[in-house]
Amino acid sequence: METKIKSACETCAHFNAEGLKKLGIHTDDFDFVVALAGNPNTGKSTVFNALTGLRQHTGNWPGKTVTRAEGGFEYNTQKFKLVDLPGTYSLLSTSEDEEAARDFILFGKPNVTVIVADANRLERNLNLVLQILEITDKAVLCLNLMDEAKRNHISIDERTLARDLGIPVVPTSARFNKGIPELIQTISDIANGTIVCKPHRIKSVPDNIDRAVKKLTTEIEKEFPGIPNSRWIAFRLLEGDTQIINALKSGELV
Amino acid sequence: MTTYNPISALILFFVIAVLLFVLFRPIKGWFWILKKNFGSNEKTIIEDILKQLYHFENSGNKVDMKTLVQVLGFNHTRVVDAIKKMTINDLIYFESDILKLTDTGREYALRIVRVHRLWERYLADKTGFSRSEWHDRAESMEHVLTHDEAEQLSVRLGNPKFDPHGDPIPTKTGKVAQVNGVELPLLPVNSIGRITHIEDEPEVIYKQIIAEKIHIGSLVRVVENNATRIVFLSEGEEFKLAPIVAANLTVAPIENEVVVEDNIARLSSLDEHETAKIIGISKESRGESRRRLLDLGFVKGANISIDLMNPLGEPHAYLIKGTSIALRKDQAAKILIKRD
Amino acid sequence: MNKKNIDSIIELSNELRWQIGDDFHDNLTESIYADASEIVKDTVQSDTSNKRFRLDAKIDKIVTSKAFGFPIMFLVLGVVLWITIVGANYPSSLLANVLLDTIHPALKNGAASINMPWWLSGFLIDGVYLAVAWVVAVMLPPMAIFFPMFTLLEDFGYLPRVAFNLDALFKKSGAHGKQALTMSMGFGCNAAGVVATRIIDSPRERLIAIITNNFSLCNGRWPTQILIATIFIGAIVPESLSSVASLLAVIGIAVLGMAFMFTVSWALSKTVLKGEVSTFNLELPPYRPPRFWKTIYTSLIDRTLIVLWRAVVFAAPAGAVIWLISNIYIGNETIAAWAIDSMDGFGFLLGLNGVILLAYIVAIPANEIVIPTILMLTVLVTGTSGGAGAGVMFELDSMNATGDLLRAGGWTLLTAINLMLFSLLHNPCSTTIYTIYKETKSLKWTVFASIMPVILGFVVTFLVAQIWRLIF
Ligand SMILES: Nc1nc2c(ncn2[C@@H]2O[C@H](COP(=O)(O)OP(=O)(O)O)[C@@H](O)[C@H]2O)c(=O)[nH]1
Ligand SMILES: [Mg+2]
Repeated sequence: METKIKSACETCAHFNAEGLKKLGIHTDDFDFVVALAGNPNTGKSTVFNALTGLRQHTGNWPGKTVTRAEGGFEYNTQKFKLVDLPGTYSLLSTSEDEEAARDFILFGKPNVTVIVADANRLERNLNLVLQILEITDKAVLCLNLMDEAKRNHISIDERTLARDLGIPVVPTSARFNKGIPELIQTISDIANGTIVCKPHRIKSVPDNIDRAVKKLTTEIEKEFPGIPNSRWIAFRLLEGDTQIINALKSGELV
Repeated sequence: MTTYNPISALILFFVIAVLLFVLFRPIKGWFWILKKNFGSNEKTIIEDILKQLYHFENSGNKVDMKTLVQVLGFNHTRVVDAIKKMTINDLIYFESDILKLTDTGREYALRIVRVHRLWERYLADKTGFSRSEWHDRAESMEHVLTHDEAEQLSVRLGNPKFDPHGDPIPTKTGKVAQVNGVELPLLPVNSIGRITHIEDEPEVIYKQIIAEKIHIGSLVRVVENNATRIVFLSEGEEFKLAPIVAANLTVAPIENEVVVEDNIARLSSLDEHETAKIIGISKESRGESRRRLLDLGFVKGANISIDLMNPLGEPHAYLIKGTSIALRKDQAAKILIKRD
Repeated sequence: MNKKNIDSIIELSNELRWQIGDDFHDNLTESIYADASEIVKDTVQSDTSNKRFRLDAKIDKIVTSKAFGFPIMFLVLGVVLWITIVGANYPSSLLANVLLDTIHPALKNGAASINMPWWLSGFLIDGVYLAVAWVVAVMLPPMAIFFPMFTLLEDFGYLPRVAFNLDALFKKSGAHGKQALTMSMGFGCNAAGVVATRIIDSPRERLIAIITNNFSLCNGRWPTQILIATIFIGAIVPESLSSVASLLAVIGIAVLGMAFMFTVSWALSKTVLKGEVSTFNLELPPYRPPRFWKTIYTSLIDRTLIVLWRAVVFAAPAGAVIWLISNIYIGNETIAAWAIDSMDGFGFLLGLNGVILLAYIVAIPANEIVIPTILMLTVLVTGTSGGAGAGVMFELDSMNATGDLLRAGGWTLLTAINLMLFSLLHNPCSTTIYTIYKETKSLKWTVFASIMPVILGFVVTFLVAQIWRLIF
């Protein structure tokens, strides 16, 4: 396990408050692209606003308020462009929102994907988390709404969670700006390769599907050596996703 | 404005309104009927004849001119003209009185069947039309789609092999897959199978099956099988069918051990303060709505209970995986549960 | 990369897809959730597992109860509308005072002092400026009050409960419970209501909500309704009842709008929209205390200003057109007079008149300027004294004077009633039409949503006019 998880305090020490500058919507010539994904109503826009200093509309309402927002911040002289994706429950269906989110993670190739999850409903949120981890291996889980979780007497063992998922986990209460410095530090570490993730891959797949997937991944990897998400492409091919088929044909995927 | 008086204006208005209604009301409007009769050109007639012949030959029946005119419902002379033309073009030939397809004719017929079944698949998976409408809509679409469009559609649907009734969709090259399975009455008591096909002819029997909650892809377990009736369980309901009705269901026996749960209930029957476990989603729910339910966490094994009753009776909100999600009655009726 | 290999990969996937069968999606989702629950098992501890959190459950029990659910909803909607209408009065008249009564004459004087030609100052100041100023004065205050209140309710988490309570009603007409909210939003502004339909994620129900949003009487139309009802309906009952009667008439129109909304929704779902995919889901999120100032700020920026900006952009050219048609002569008649003349016959059939029809045509950009345009045109064709000159919209300070002017223009009680009906049932304003196009990305649905209400309006006013004339 190469993942280095630092406890919250450790990271605080690392965090260089001086090095942070919120850039608002001025995102010219950035060094890294960061995507914000997650279920609806988990606080993505709140995290986005906390990071960029912008005031995107946030609403306590699962449904799209805005389609896609961009902003930026600068940390230790590196510029990060942040993209707030529409909230979705899954990336497996075909609704407009899901396609937008999926396309950005897959084709936009963000340097880091921040997955915002509701700490009160982790199991439900993991559905999306596990799907994203099949697509990208540069991700961090932002365990948001920790204040509510505490009020509801829910406690989460972040270390074990990080180990199980194979990516860093940062607990936050974005509304109160708690945990945001740690999140920035982690984003920067992943972008710069200081943290290397080894993401969880879906395990409990039935045998007949697993066999089919293995056959396909072997073929895909033969054609595109070193591709990080061959298994996910196999899943999509088995579902008959025309967009992925076309992307495969045009070579957009690599 | 000299001739104006409110009564004549009103009368004129109602005459126009009635006229528009008679002409354009859905399906039975005169305009649509006329359009169907006069608008259906020779191509449509030829293609319908080919398709009919194909189905007749497949089921081992012989057709002569008279039966054909009867089944098609087109004007007699137009059918005769079309047949003349088809013989000249080498699509069909006569064996004494009996009409037969040539190889080219059969190929052409398969193409039409392919488009028809693809379109039904499309309607079932990607639109909101109810299953009683699929067939009629496909009937008119099969004459419209070009070869290329059909191919694109097929790719978009993931090159399906079966239509929503379980009938095989002929491939581009005219190959037809075999429906896998046996007629339900041949399944011994206590064996388990999956419904792979529902025969839609004759219509009386088909209607009877459609009226029941019997769906393609669902598992059945036979509990009683004798000359007078066949009793089986599927998705928690018990069905009793006469053997000739049951014979219209094709079922693929399942060898390896699957558990078909007893005591399955529907989520819609859950009461406040009861808890249950989800067994699955009925095969009746398909396409986008099925995916939504799955994405929202209505998966096998999940615990569920009622969170909020609705003052108007529906939708109730259900507590699932920590979140309160409201479902309408018809949706809840498609979720299979087992009470704790 | 080798094209042939890729094709064979795709071929292989097609083959495998049919080997593993239909249940792939089910199986995959189940496996993901299986992994998820395993992970959760060793990482999450909670002593209230599977119970919704106490306070939330308590609030929910009340706001969705049989006894209180509906009263609370109507109370909240009533209070919001009341605060909007009453609260907007003062800032509106202040703005009108500044923009219309102070700046406008000042601009005219300024133009005169630099010897600007009359047609240029007329075109720019009486046409473009006045229309924009009018729209801002009438539109801004109610929106700036309505939207923040609505957004606060949204942030608190109450709105999904309203959708939950009302869904059964909307389901009967083939619509989604969330349409209750886009409809309410439409009471503020139809363009904003159309944008709000994004919360409905089922394609069919979303289209229904977009197309029928226009049946919600918007802020731009409330003042028209109130004015006409006060002048004409209030006058037929004893003095002491007049304000109650006119209030009831306006509410009646709004309720009629809802009736049309339900009926048209039902008809759409049974006919043209039958084939669109329909799914339903409604998540009830936890209650959260809204962040007051932040919410007010974002709702002003996101909703109010964007909509206002669009309205201004459309109002400017409309002002120009209004001025031009009243000042350009063909023969010895203005274009306006000529158009009014040719539409008078049709207007009469509908129980309206040419002035009203022309006003609705040129005032497509904003319902706010319909009344001022009608007054200006009435002065123009009747030649009565008063008004501010050809092409210069105005409003009169006293209701009586307005009533006298309109009666001089040939208005009767029937004209007033039918104007109120037509103000409810006509094409959406151009801001809304544009928004519908942006949201549906379909010319077909935009055209349909624009034309269907006018046709309904024609039919309804026509029938009312004929029956009225038969009876009286
Ligand atoms: N208590 C609390 N509320 C939060 C936190 N983060 C977000 N929220 C609230 O959660 C709601 C949804 O947030 P939003 O950013 O719009 O979520 P999105 O839909 O994922 O973009 C809003 O009402 C926020 O104020 C948090 O850390 N603690
Ligand atoms: Mg958001």
